[in-house]
Amino acid sequence: MLDETEADRPRKRALGAELVIPVGALVFTLYYFYTILESPWTAQASAFFIGTILIVLVLIFIGLTFRWVAKGEGDWSFHTLFEPHDYVKIRLGLLALTVGYIAVISFLGFTITTFLFLVLAMLLLNRGRRAKLSLTLAAILSVGGYLLFIVAFDTNFPEGPFEFLMNGIL
Amino acid sequence: MEFCEVDVSIQMFAELFVHTLGFWWIILPAMLLGLIVGAIPGFSAANTIIILLPLTFAMEVEQGIVFMVALYASSRMGAGIPAILVNIPGTAGAAATPLDGYPMARAGLGQQALAMSFVASTAGGLLTTIIALIAMPWLAQVAFFMHSVEMIVVMLFGISLIATIAAKNTLKGLIAGLLGLMIGAVGTDFVYETPRATFGFLELYDGIPLVPALVGLFAVSEAFLVIEGESILTRRGKELMANPSWQATFEGVRMCAKRWWHVIWCSLIGLVIGVIPGAGASIASFVAYQQSRSFSKTPELYGTGHPEGLIAPESANNGVTSGTLVPLMVIGLPGGATAAIMLVVLEFHGVNFGPQLFSEQPEIGFGIFMAMAVTYLLMIFTILPLSRYMTKVTIVSTAFMAPVIISFTLVGSFVPREFGFDMGLALGFGVLGYIARRTNYHVAAILIGIILGPLLEGFFLRAIRMANGDLGVLFSSNIGNALWVALVVTVALPYLLDYLRKRRRQQKTM
Repeated sequence: MLDETEADRPRKRALGAELVIPVGALVFTLYYFYTILESPWTAQASAFFIGTILIVLVLIFIGLTFRWVAKGEGDWSFHTLFEPHDYVKIRLGLLALTVGYIAVISFLGFTITTFLFLVLAMLLLNRGRRAKLSLTLAAILSVGGYLLFIVAFDTNFPEGPFEFLMNGIL
Repeated sequence: MEFCEVDVSIQMFAELFVHTLGFWWIILPAMLLGLIVGAIPGFSAANTIIILLPLTFAMEVEQGIVFMVALYASSRMGAGIPAILVNIPGTAGAAATPLDGYPMARAGLGQQALAMSFVASTAGGLLTTIIALIAMPWLAQVAFFMHSVEMIVVMLFGISLIATIAAKNTLKGLIAGLLGLMIGAVGTDFVYETPRATFGFLELYDGIPLVPALVGLFAVSEAFLVIEGESILTRRGKELMANPSWQATFEGVRMCAKRWWHVIWCSLIGLVIGVIPGAGASIASFVAYQQSRSFSKTPELYGTGHPEGLIAPESANNGVTSGTLVPLMVIGLPGGATAAIMLVVLEFHGVNFGPQLFSEQPEIGFGIFMAMAVTYLLMIFTILPLSRYMTKVTIVSTAFMAPVIISFTLVGSFVPREFGFDMGLALGFGVLGYIARRTNYHVAAILIGIILGPLLEGFFLRAIRMANGDLGVLFSSNIGNALWVALVVTVALPYLLDYLRKRRRQQKTM
């Protein structure tokens, strides 16, 4: 546990985390330049113009970051991305469920995948509590979504066994 | 007054108003549908009308017009509702709405914010509809005067909002905005269709699709953030929401009425931008927000839940709605996607556009604008009382809200192109948005770049090619030059006013 003086001390800026977007922007811009090296000028003009300014700004930011670290105003940590720590596992779990949702929806279709995602995500976020409410809400929302979007609006949502079955019945 | 050999009188408009009011049984369901599709990212008035084309073809021509117009106008208003309550703009046209709308909702002022948004949208929509009716022949000419050069300056008006956002943290704001511009330039180039930064994905050859970017940057990233709290409300917001009352709705109406001049001014920006084919609600709302902030006495309050920051985009994007119909009716040139679909439906019914429409079939020519006016009037009376109940969304536990936001908005990002890839792209933007929010980079700046960047590049290349590479073309037209001056003034003005205020304060203390 932190002692009182340590807890009261103002926290340093997590400059490692603040650098993620500028460094990502730099890498992306360089990749962009690489893809247009042999392109006609019409493909290059605005990208080189905007990209060059972006690179200059990113380099200034990186330079300033070194200065802030040297002055002790910040460190190279990434803690702001992972705070509060109690939620890291939950957030990663939710991310994994989201990736699963995207991967599975083309096979299982909208209704079943949405139902499964909603139940699991609600249980995860409620830390296993309120299971009945989660199940009921997930069922209402997924079937309601099916009726509203697929049946009423005739929207082309990903279809799977449930939608095929209902198409056969209706 | 005489327009296109038709005697236009107040009596004629009164009769047309009563006649259009008789279509309430079409307007109300279309309005409800419009509010729903407007509120869900991925859905829009345009693709809903496409889905319902058989229905509109089967209707009488007047009924079809009323149905489409009611759906179109209400979808604009619907897009602002989730933008205010849960920080998710229903369409790109409402992308500037959460900048001040969402902080108001978090502070427990969601009811006031919704009431303000509804009144600003209705007033903006009604006012511009009336102006469009009166000034249609002249407004239609605007489209002829706006060439690539002028459009470049209009785009820059919107993009200069990045600089406004960057005022709080210059370097980070500019990096976010320029990153958005680079991302917006992904895809094939405008002339030779050379692929650029597509990572080998064919799905990116047409550029970055807007809905996944919108869904990811706003909805998905927000969902991953809000799970830390029990609800999205701040402590003060929870206290205020504990005792909801009708008073809050009236307060919102009052707050908007007090800023009537602001509503007029911003809706006129929307109307003029709406008239220009190729421009649209997203440009109008960003330009209106930037203009509103530039001329405000309290620019530092923008982004913190400032009423004017909410009124500006909402009145502007509803001003666009009537604007897009002006060139369609007068010269048969649609101002936007929805207007283009209306063109198809009306041509199917044998309607000939142009000045003769107003003399041969005034019930259609003027009726289309009257349908819009009636829709706005009916909408304000039906939706305003609902604001008290809509704000209940903000007290829903985030443990239930976040999964619903993620699943429904991700599927919404699938709808426009029906590519599973777009759902993955939305998640990618969600991760980018999460990192940006965590490290104080503004997601709105990234989105402005993604929306306006490709448009700016298109107009720029067109202008340069037509001038055989001569950059002087950018300053070759009188209208363009006037717009350049206006742009420089509006960008420089806040800094100048700030300087003068500081100087006055210093003089007082001396």
